[in-house]
Amino acid sequence: MEYILTVMVLIGINVILATSFNLILGYGGLMSVAHPIFYAIGAYCSGLLAIHLQIPVPLSILMGAGIAMVLSFGVSLPSLRVSGDYLVIASIGFQLGILHVINNLEFTGAAGGLTNIPVLNEGPSRSLVFVLLIAVVAACAVLLVGWIVEGDYGRAITAMRNDEEAFSALGRNAMNIKIVLFAIGSGMAGLAGALYAHYFAYVTPEQFGIFTSAALLTMVVVGGAATTWGPLVGAVLLTTLPQAITFLGLPVSIMAPLQGVIYTTLVIFFLFARPQGLMGGTRGGGGLEAWSASAAFRARRDAE
Amino acid sequence: MFEVQNLTARYGPLIAVNDVSLSFETGVRIGIFGHNGSGKSTFLKCLVGGVRDVSGDVDFGGSPIVPDQVHRNVMLGIGFVPQVQNVFPNLTVEQNLHIAGSKSDSSFLEEAFALFPLLRERQDQLAGDMSGGEQQMLAVALALMTRPQILLLDEPTAGLAPAIVKSVLGSLSRINSELGTGLILVEQNVLAALDVVERAIVLKGGRIVFDGDSEELRAKEDLWAWF
Repeated sequence: MEYILTVMVLIGINVILATSFNLILGYGGLMSVAHPIFYAIGAYCSGLLAIHLQIPVPLSILMGAGIAMVLSFGVSLPSLRVSGDYLVIASIGFQLGILHVINNLEFTGAAGGLTNIPVLNEGPSRSLVFVLLIAVVAACAVLLVGWIVEGDYGRAITAMRNDEEAFSALGRNAMNIKIVLFAIGSGMAGLAGALYAHYFAYVTPEQFGIFTSAALLTMVVVGGAATTWGPLVGAVLLTTLPQAITFLGLPVSIMAPLQGVIYTTLVIFFLFARPQGLMGGTRGGGGLEAWSASAAFRARRDAE
Repeated sequence: MFEVQNLTARYGPLIAVNDVSLSFETGVRIGIFGHNGSGKSTFLKCLVGGVRDVSGDVDFGGSPIVPDQVHRNVMLGIGFVPQVQNVFPNLTVEQNLHIAGSKSDSSFLEEAFALFPLLRERQDQLAGDMSGGEQQMLAVALALMTRPQILLLDEPTAGLAPAIVKSVLGSLSRINSELGTGLILVEQNVLAALDVVERAIVLKGGRIVFDGDSEELRAKEDLWAWF
């Protein structure tokens, strides 16, 4: 039972992460892969505040999310100058740079990780209570993103994603939208990180590297980029699938790389066979097709 | 009105516009011509602050045009229609117009439909599914939603069939005569554009080599030698 509850906690955390990543990457079209670093910032800051300053855990969780939100300027400001492939490179640099710092600071636990993080709740029903809490937070995250992308503001986000130059030519400020998307998305990732830290009581730098970026990208692509429910479906599927294959009883030497093979295969399959993802609809209804429609549109116009 | 003083624009080491000084009244119809690479599109972008590395001064109605602040500059009363990528393909026609008109009152949506009745018929269609000419109409309508005193258009007839070219240029003439909105066109289609504009400017190597009446340019026997 404890194992199932732990998997449910991981699902909830991945739903928050994938949903917030979808806000930035799917809806905003902002090609930043540094999302896991805000997950790390939330986890480490919240854990360190609780350990060293004895700040109550609920408050430290909120502070961890807030710090991640503020530090999102580290990615949103470069995005004002660069986009596309260049933003991918800038975001990887930001992610690896911060991870390098965490890896080499003594008070963060360095490569060994941060241990003895106070847990949020204790008692015989600890995991069950935490599952209920994380389910509420994950539901709020999905509903919040759904609310943001509806209505006039959502259409402005779509227009900015379609074409920034045309958007600016109408007197609309793309910079403000980018900053808001990064701040909200990163704050949500920080919240997920803080919740993780205060459930498992232990975090290590290797949890927040490029592999986690790839895993989150897979969740968004498989579920459906720029759809409300796609990241939720992707997160549930790609959190339970690796757990399920552990029951196959394969040797560790096969199990370890198998997860990477599954993620890669799924991304390639969905890119070719169903670019709108599991939850994407027809053209313009979400998924990578909507995500890349402006690029295809530009290519068609240029060719005419 | 526009006042341009000693404008120079660069892309790295390349000087695209070289020490250009000009002035335009609002309400006028001006064509900017030149061969590929002559600097005409860069010059147009400078008028709205779309080029970062510039020197010299550009003023509109007494307010300076700030480089790299297109979203602020257009609110001075400048409508800008980029050459391509000028509509939002994932949004319907009506949603495109709402995005453009978010800073003006909704009555202007009806004015846009009155000017381009086809857009009313297509208001629920995705902009990306429209033809090139229809998209160009929508792009002009989007720019008009910001209630500009002057419209800057970068090759509005590029890639369009001759019949559609005539229709788009006719719409622009109507906008000028009915709304009093000035037009500055950058065009490759010189002969068609000369029917619409009253003043012609020819750029070569980033410098002005002709600035005068459009009929004067049309009458030149060595017209094509200017390009």
